Formats: sequence, structure tokens, C-alpha cells
Amino acid sequence: MGIPGKEKMWDKEEKEHRKYDDVRIFTDKDFNNYTEDELKAFKPKHATPMLDELEKGPWPSFVSDLKREALHRHKVGQDNLLIPMEAVDDLLGVVELSYKEGETHWKHGGIVGVLGYGGGVIGRYCDQQQMFPSVAHFHTIRVNQPGAKFYNTDFLRAFCDICEYRGSGITNMHGSTGDMVMLGSTTEQLEPIFFDLTHDLGNDIGGSGSNLRTPSDCIGPGRCEFACYDTLAMCYEMTMAFQDELHRPAFPYKFKFKFDGCPNGCVAAIARSDMAFIGTWKDDIRINQEAIQAYVADKIPRDGGGMAGANWGPFNIQEEIIDRCPTGCMTWDGKKLSINNPECSRCMHCINAMPEALRVGKDTGVSILFGAKAPILEGAQMSVLTVPFMYAKHPFESQQALARKVQDWWIEEGKNRERLGELIQRMGLKTLIEVLGIPAMPQMVKEPRSNPYVFFKESEVPGGWQRDIGDYRSRHPK
Amino acid sequence: MGREEDIRQAILDYGSKGAKTKFYFKDMLAGVKKTIPDTGASEVKGVASKMIAEGILEYFSTGSSTMYGVKGRGISVEKSGDAGG
Ligand code: SF4
Ligand code: SF4
Repeated sequence: MGIPGKEKMWDKEEKEHRKYDDVRIFTDKDFNNYTEDELKAFKPKHATPMLDELEKGPWPSFVSDLKREALHRHKVGQDNLLIPMEAVDDLLGVVELSYKEGETHWKHGGIVGVLGYGGGVIGRYCDQQQMFPSVAHFHTIRVNQPGAKFYNTDFLRAFCDICEYRGSGITNMHGSTGDMVMLGSTTEQLEPIFFDLTHDLGNDIGGSGSNLRTPSDCIGPGRCEFACYDTLAMCYEMTMAFQDELHRPAFPYKFKFKFDGCPNGCVAAIARSDMAFIGTWKDDIRINQEAIQAYVADKIPRDGGGMAGANWGPFNIQEEIIDRCPTGCMTWDGKKLSINNPECSRCMHCINAMPEALRVGKDTGVSILFGAKAPILEGAQMSVLTVPFMYAKHPFESQQALARKVQDWWIEEGKNRERLGELIQRMGLKTLIEVLGIPAMPQMVKEPRSNPYVFFKESEVPGGWQRDIGDYRSRHPK
Repeated sequence: MGREEDIRQAILDYGSKGAKTKFYFKDMLAGVKKTIPDTGASEVKGVASKMIAEGILEYFSTGSSTMYGVKGRGISVEKSGDAGG
């Protein structure tokens, strides 16, 4: 696992993956410890008439899952669990109360965590502790997901055992930043959970608070032919290089790295990260004209077969591809497809629709964008293309250096609880590129090809801003 | 005193004397810079991290952002704020 020659300690010591059987806490019998009839007859500790309504819809309900888990914990028994057996019963109770009153009964934050770490654990307490004593302390632990969320069943089972034994047994797979989230444990269990995660799973706690948040990446070259760089390797190396930022908070607010292997953006880097890495290419889209003919003759299904049930009728290359190219840079003469590559904005439409005929170029790297965020304090914001192209070679030192530069600027200039995107808005993109030492480029546009920023200082433009209108009109009549 | 000791003292002075018992890193840095103007974020962070490990300082989380505090000073649970994230 990991980068050759850079195996984690536990890989070196063990020489092989830790097997679930080596670290398992529960037996198979523990997992199958109730019947469906018992479930029907089961009455959780609190009546939940409002939550019960949610079980009546057409989709599986979290309420049904929680009731199963509540019964399961009763059958496992308090002797085999390290936090209150009735945690899930009380959780159902507190949620019901909140539905009834339209108010939350959680308070959060405070001083919980593992020693030396300033993130990854979010303290959560119930303000109705008399009524719901088993969730009086119900902390959330964010666990750093493996790259691209690739884990084997040994890892997943061991993780679930820890959640059950030292927590409520409830997980959120995955949180919106990508973490594997353990929902509900007590302060006393935090250090043991951390020990088990690091020693048994070779894993670590993720980020929260004013930290670097757990970096997240798409599946990239692990499975995807569109990957323009090794997202898994870059995410791993950046996670390792920025350990201090991940665990010891000194940022004005949260900071996210996300790695998308191509502009399809499967981890939504462009919309959800302060520093987004998006795979791209410099050369031409590769075209296989024979395969194009096969698509036109409907011998290969469009969109990799993804639209097979959509009743779209026969494939029409002019309407579906050429006319939908957002930059109008494609032509089809009935026999041959051509692309005016300098005008292509890498939207991926044509490649997604005809993946056997069109491929990303061979001269690949990353585009780097800054400043996206979700709408917590100010409104949602997309990121701004700042570095149109950079090669992405292991161990990604150029990317690390750029990240440090921007973080240093943000630490220096950012206000408390100001995201990087808000700082860029306040100080201007011009300031950002000056800080980064990047020249203004036509590719730095807010919306592709429509809204260029003006970057130049008057002193940089020959003749400054002054023009003789008469001279201009002599060459450009009205 | 050595430089690290100076920074430790400045952090402690800032953390123990102000009205606020929990403070943002940036404000602590500004406080330290008043007595040690030539220091910077990474140096102060390094010293503060050591003081956390030694149990002199502690982190205080509001869920979405993190503050520092001198251990034992002020409240230990956040009562309001934005819910996690
Ligand atoms: S972002 Fe691109 S490379 Fe990554 S998984 Fe999605 S389609 Fe593939
Ligand atoms: S990727 Fe998008 S912009 Fe580029 S040629 Fe294909 S459809 Fe046009």
C-alpha cells in the first residue's frame, strides 16, 4: 500500500495487510443476533410517532436503520459495549423531541480531542441529559478516509467494530468532506479510538475546525481512463506533507484541498475546495475516426451505455455533440470529426459522450483554482482559475510550494473565520497573483471566455491608459 | 531568557491576562508580536503546539473553527455557534 519505498510503519512491520480476524472485536454471531420477528416486536425506549412516519415512504429510512441498531445493541448487551447500550434509543428520543419542537437539543464544541490534535473530534452534548442520559456526550470523530475511498472489507469491518464497541455503532459514510464519520462516543473513548485507528487500521483522524480538512480525491487512475494525473498519489503526498496543518490549527478558518483527475469533477473540487486541483491536458484531444463512425452508425452506445434506457432515438452526432460543444470548436463534415483544440475549454462533453472515440490529450497535468466554498458564512462561491497548467509529478513539490505560499498569505491577511475565497474577493485576484508571483494570463477568467479580469497596472501598459481618440478614430471610423 | 522562552511567556501573558479566555490563533499571534515583533506565524504555532502537548494550553473547538486557551481558564463547552462543519 502507499507509494513504493514509502510504506507506512504498520505495513513495514507486518509485511502484509492487517486482516480483520486479527483485530476483530465481535463474532459473526454478534452480528446476526436478532430475528425479523424480534424486530417487529421491538419497542425502543422512547415512543417516536413522528419519526415512525418517515418509515412509511417508498425509500429506506434512517429511522428503520436506527431501530435495527438499537435492537442489535440490546442483544449485544452492555457488558460488551463501552458506551451506553441505549445510546441509539436515546438518539431516537432526542430526534423525536426536536421534530416535535422544531428545535435542536444538541450543543457542540468545547474541549474534546486527542492529545496534541486540534481537530477531527467535534464535541457534541445533549441539553436534555436527564431525559436522554445515554447521549449526554455524543461526540463525532472524523476519520481520514483512504485515498479515493478505496478500502477493503477487512478495513471496513474493523472500522465498524470500533464504532460499535467504543461508540454508538452509527457511522456516516462519508461526510461531505469525505471523512468516514463515527457518530456518537464519549470523552473517555476518544484516546482508545485514536489508538485503535492508528494501530489496528494504520489510519488517522481527519480535520475539523480551523485546520486543513481531510484532503479528498477522485478515484483517478485507480479505475478511470479520464485521469490526467495520479490523484491518489497527490492526495496522499499532500496529506502527509501538510500533517501539521491537518492536526494543529493555525489557519483563520477551514481550508480544503480536493483533487479531481479531470474536469468532470467527481469530488467537486471546483465548487468545494479552497485549493482545487483539476486534471487537464495541453495538447489535442485524441480522436479515433473509426470509432466515431461506429458511434454514428449506433454500433457503440453513447455515454458508455449510460443513456441506454432514456429513449433518445438514434445517435445524432451533429445535434448531440457538435451543436452542444460550448465553445463551438467542433465540426463534422459527414465523415470526419475535427476539433479546433485551442478553443476547447475542456468541458468533457464530447469525451463523455463518445469515450471510445475521443480521449484526453497525452501532455497532461493540473489546473489549480482557488477560493471555492459552501454557503456557511457568506454565499456559496466557485473557485477561480489561477494556474492554468502545471505538471503534476510525484512528489508534487511545486504544488506543495504553491499551497504554502497561499496559506502563508491567508494566515497573514485573512480575518478570523474568513475563507480564502472571501479574502481573494476582499483583496482582489490581482493581489493573489502578485503574492503567488504568477503573471496575469488570459486563461484567468471568472467564467470561461466571458468575463476577463483586468490585471494590468498602468505602468505595465505601453503608453499607459491615455489614448488619442482622434488618432484611434482615424483608424477605426464609427 | 532564550527566544522560545520569550515566546512562551508572551503567549501565557496574552492568554492569562485578557478578558477573553478563548482566542483565535491570529489574535494570539498579534498579542505575541507586541512584545516580539520579529516573530511569525510558524514560529508561534510551533511553540503553541508544544505548549498544547505539555498541557499548558488547550484547543477549544466551536465545531467549525478552533481557538486556543490557557488550560482550565474559562468555559469548557461551547453553548452556541454554527453547528459543526
Ligand atoms: S474526476 Fe475525472 S478522472 Fe476523476 S473519477 Fe471523475 S471522471 Fe475520472
Ligand atoms: S471537450 Fe467540450 S469544449 Fe472541448 S471539444 Fe469537447 S465539447 Fe467542445
